[in-house]
Amino acid sequence: MTRKKILGSHMKRLLSGVSDHGRRHLSEVETDLLQTELLLEEAVDRLTSSFMAIHQAVDARQQGINQLLKGDPVSAEETARLGDMSGEIGQHVNSAITSMQFQDMTSQLIDRTLKRVTGLRAFLGTLGEHGEGIAAESGSEEVVDLLGKVSMALAIQSLELKSALRKSVNQQHLDSGDIELF
Amino acid sequence: MAKTILAVDDSSSLRQMVAFSLKAAGYQVVEAVDGQDGFDKAKLQAVDLVLTDQNMPRMDGLALIKLLRGLPAYQKTPILMLTTESSDEMKSKGRAAGANGWLVKPFDPQRLIEVVKKVIG
Repeated sequence: MTRKKILGSHMKRLLSGVSDHGRRHLSEVETDLLQTELLLEEAVDRLTSSFMAIHQAVDARQQGINQLLKGDPVSAEETARLGDMSGEIGQHVNSAITSMQFQDMTSQLIDRTLKRVTGLRAFLGTLGEHGEGIAAESGSEEVVDLLGKVSMALAIQSLELKSALRKSVNQQHLDSGDIELF
Repeated sequence: MAKTILAVDDSSSLRQMVAFSLKAAGYQVVEAVDGQDGFDKAKLQAVDLVLTDQNMPRMDGLALIKLLRGLPAYQKTPILMLTTESSDEMKSKGRAAGANGWLVKPFDPQRLIEVVKKVIG
């Protein structure tokens, strides 16, 4: 292979490595951000619903208490309804507790995105540092040598980043998860 | 006497929600911020059940279970994982480490209490 072809082959390998690495990680960033958005939207909807339901239940309970305080006659049905309200409020509180766990999941997704962005910055930094080592008057052999080194360094960084970013949150909704007893 | 549960999670909001739910059902709750803190607290005070997250700084849930199972006082104590992790691979690792159950987040307080009652009464 001629020197020109070797140089071209190294350049091609480097550019394609940078492109694959960048696209793969940015695609994961996009997926994680979309998942975060879905979870946040659902959390806000569900928490708003729970908040309104708790407000209505507390309001209805207060009306019943006011009626009792005034000494108005209270039917057996109304007394039973007042008693049931604790359970009703409890159910809405439980639902709110399930929805509030969005924070635990979205913070893990955001943390993963931040680590990926930091990794990409380091990756581009490595590319820049090696680029600075190429002098204008460098011969093709020196350039080939440097391109080989930078490709190797980037491949290692890419693998390290990939292995450090295992996905631990796959939830797309805030429905309560599976339970399994061993 | 109320039974004591050690709740281990690096998310303070999650710990608060677990503690709120368990206390409302009559249990005592000791909170720990990660596996290492959980291990230290478990050694200081015997608990009836450990409920732990998996992904935490310093020490993860699986490492905590392995260490606890090495202590005579915790060889039979029920340990449940409460985590976002839902893969069969992770569940198998949990089982092999000595976990007695796997609960995937988010948890529903009523279902959590049902499971805890089933395990420790």
